Amino acid sequence: MRAAPPPGGGASRYAAADRGQASFPNTPGPEHGRWVINEVLLTLGFGLVSAAILSLSAVGFSLEYAVTNIANLSHGEILTVGAYAAYLVQRQTGSLLAAAIAAALAGGCLALAVHTTVIERFVSRGTPRMSIFIATLGLSFVIQNALVIIFGATNVAYSIPQGAPRHIGPFLWTPTEITILASAVAITAALYGIIHHTKFGKALRAVSQNRDLARVTGIHARRIAAATWFLAGLVAGYAGFVLAESVGTFNPYFGFSFFLITLAAAVAGGLGKAFSTMAGAVLVGIALQFTGAYVSSSYELAFAFAILALVILVRPRGLFSRGRLSVFE
Amino acid sequence: MSVPAPPAGAAPPGPALQVEQLTKHFGGVNAVTDCSFAAPRHRVTGLIGPNGAGKSTAIDCISGFKRPDAGMVLFGDRAITGLPPHRIARLGLVRTFQTPREWPQLTVMENLILSRYQPRREGLWRGMLRGGHVADQAELAQVREVLDQFGLLGLRNERAGNLSGGQKRLVEFARIRIAEPELVILDEPMGGVNPVLGERMAAAIETLVAHGAAVVLVEHNLPFIERVTQHVVVMAHGAVIAAGPFEAIRSDRAVIDAYLGTQRTDDA
Amino acid sequence: MSQYLVSVLTEGSIFTVMALGLNVIWGWGGDFDLAFYGYVALGAYMTLVLTIGRAVPPAEFILGLQLPYPLAVLLGALAAGLMGLVVGLIALRHLRGIYFSIVTLGAVYVLYVLAGQYVPLFDGYNGVSGLFDPMGSTFGLTYQTYQYFFLGLCIAVAVVVFLLLERLSGSRFGLALRSTREDERATAAFGRNIYWLKLRGYVLGAVVGGLAGGLFAGYLTAFNPSAWSPIETIVVYASILVGGKGNGRGVVLGVFLIAVLLQESTRFLPQVPNNPELVLALREMVIGLVLIAFIRLRPQGLLPERRHLDREGGPGTGGPPPLGAGASHAAPQVGSAEPDAS
Repeated sequence: MRAAPPPGGGASRYAAADRGQASFPNTPGPEHGRWVINEVLLTLGFGLVSAAILSLSAVGFSLEYAVTNIANLSHGEILTVGAYAAYLVQRQTGSLLAAAIAAALAGGCLALAVHTTVIERFVSRGTPRMSIFIATLGLSFVIQNALVIIFGATNVAYSIPQGAPRHIGPFLWTPTEITILASAVAITAALYGIIHHTKFGKALRAVSQNRDLARVTGIHARRIAAATWFLAGLVAGYAGFVLAESVGTFNPYFGFSFFLITLAAAVAGGLGKAFSTMAGAVLVGIALQFTGAYVSSSYELAFAFAILALVILVRPRGLFSRGRLSVFE
Repeated sequence: MSVPAPPAGAAPPGPALQVEQLTKHFGGVNAVTDCSFAAPRHRVTGLIGPNGAGKSTAIDCISGFKRPDAGMVLFGDRAITGLPPHRIARLGLVRTFQTPREWPQLTVMENLILSRYQPRREGLWRGMLRGGHVADQAELAQVREVLDQFGLLGLRNERAGNLSGGQKRLVEFARIRIAEPELVILDEPMGGVNPVLGERMAAAIETLVAHGAAVVLVEHNLPFIERVTQHVVVMAHGAVIAAGPFEAIRSDRAVIDAYLGTQRTDDA
Repeated sequence: MSQYLVSVLTEGSIFTVMALGLNVIWGWGGDFDLAFYGYVALGAYMTLVLTIGRAVPPAEFILGLQLPYPLAVLLGALAAGLMGLVVGLIALRHLRGIYFSIVTLGAVYVLYVLAGQYVPLFDGYNGVSGLFDPMGSTFGLTYQTYQYFFLGLCIAVAVVVFLLLERLSGSRFGLALRSTREDERATAAFGRNIYWLKLRGYVLGAVVGGLAGGLFAGYLTAFNPSAWSPIETIVVYASILVGGKGNGRGVVLGVFLIAVLLQESTRFLPQVPNNPELVLALREMVIGLVLIAFIRLRPQGLLPERRHLDREGGPGTGGPPPLGAGASHAAPQVGSAEPDAS
């Protein structure tokens, strides 16, 4: 009836697990204990890559939440826009580095634009949080469809050679994946440094804990929030580029679909604290890889939310955060 | 203030509320430790103490909004420790909150009607099939009467959220009256209210007692406490440090220290 | 009446039923439920597998009975209610606001993935199809007259649902449920079990959604995962938001404006050759923009929730204007901040 293609466009990061499985030996059952351990470690290795991308996406989301107290449902679109920006630049220049930078910048600019034109306007008018949440859902649709209008809904792909996988210790990674892991670690370290060791980071933490109090101490909350969203957008845009690299093809809906997993991971880890969110994302990424390897990788979204439901039931505040969630306490 | 006579027919003996060694920790402020006190029937009991003494937490534990870590709460002769708030309310213990918590989009009249829980009338099937009357004529008439007594009759069709702070407090009292509780816990009712309305507030509290309720009044406004209560409980640092009539409390060394936070030497 | 008009009105009636169901959950209960379209979908699927008979290989799906259509629709609605019960039990226990929405989103995605991937359930991405003219043979209708019959059926269902829910809205249950949206703590402090209240409202909404799904199945003759994307949920929400959240008449108005008018107005735009998705994307974008605009400018909708006025009882009927507010009769509280209850 309304013939919108299902979100996700069919391309999934976790389809890469199938590639890994093809390299497992076809022996029925472990002959030696070593095979089992190898399998586990290999899966863990792939899981780490997925987890890396997931945590980059999640930390951006969490930063946005931290400074404005809004769950930004259009966050996935930042990834998509980053991926498209990288696509355009890579087509023009052929340089991966330029593409990565373009992705980050595009993401940052989009996040900043969203913040300034929509989020901050609503927040300063006192619109209730839930309404802003709904508005970000609307925004997500606006951006997705703007991309469809500009680029069309069909899949596009980078023309990047993946390179042959090689063994690093017990793990099996392609050069692209190694770059992803390395850059994820570097970005995480940089974020940690910024948040905990700079003046900006201190202001960020102050605003996220109590905006009014921060204002009273002379912090320009609006500017800090805008800068944080820009930073979050940088990370998310880059995550989109990296995700598109590893998935292969993408379309305007792919960020939203990946974002849903991000969301599950972020809520499971605990919203608002950047690093508990990342921890949750890492756990979910690895868990998904294992379930994907041993069941079927196309159920990953269902599994992600099943994990979330389990966490919510057992520990409503998220695994790592100390925020308050239940109705009265 | 004159002590209202208990209603005719001997009231059952024993306090309306008995709190024993109530304990609640958060790993932060407002912890409650071994808090014990009793609130007698048909009287107004004040609960005072400096900020951070744990009064609000104790109230939350008593009324079911928080689960105590240890201790016991007896309502009449019934243990209510750890029960959910709606169960406690149905037993006849009603409380207010530090800010008036009316239902803003509903009218004042609806706010009052809803304050009495009618288990047989609130079912889903009944609502859909038997006709959508919110309340029968008798109840509506009673609500109007109560509104009139509080001077709110003219505002009954306004959305409760549009009222001023003082009016909202009055609505709160009206709602309590409709609920006809056995025990009312008032959490800082004078907060945000023009002191001019103090008389009206005191009169409202006295009316509650006259209708048979016991009142526990949490307040910072000490003259108001003096005026309205017959028994006062003082909390500090999460525990009860004194209890008795206001005159006795006023000159209690421990109480003074708690409020001033310093050791006082005797200056006469 | 032209064929086109009949189908538009039929769709509009079905959407009305859908929106009225969601209005119970969101308009009265205040919960932004993203699982709602799942109940519609489940109602549609169940109705189909209960009426079209055994699966013919290579298609496979569960059940495959041949029950009469009305019975199948009812069973479909009940199935949706059951799913709503499961989701509600989990999600309404501790969660509100954003967390509630996210968990319900998760629930519907699990169902979506299951429906698409687990072929034995509803034949995966092929979906289930073949429900032609339910009840048509019973009444001996031709293809032409059948359209009118089905339209009449859908309108009748919509009217019945509307009346029953309006009645419920004015009842004590409706009042109690709305109070949980306004201030839950106060509702609990006055003796109501808010979990149970909200749960009942949620299941009711799910049942009505499933009912709409059953009608939808009769209208589309089929259902598959591609008919089921987030935009459907957004359209229903936009209808309620624009028309009037919490107000039955508002919901009907909103469905007419958004689901019918907006959708149909873009139908007549020319197709752009190398971008076949463009018109659709434009329509979705407009809906997103309308959503944002209304949240910003008119969050209560065109027909805000009405007050139930007490007309009897002496002086002050209608009352003096509230102090300092100057609100008109039908407008909600003045001031930019709404109570935190969207």
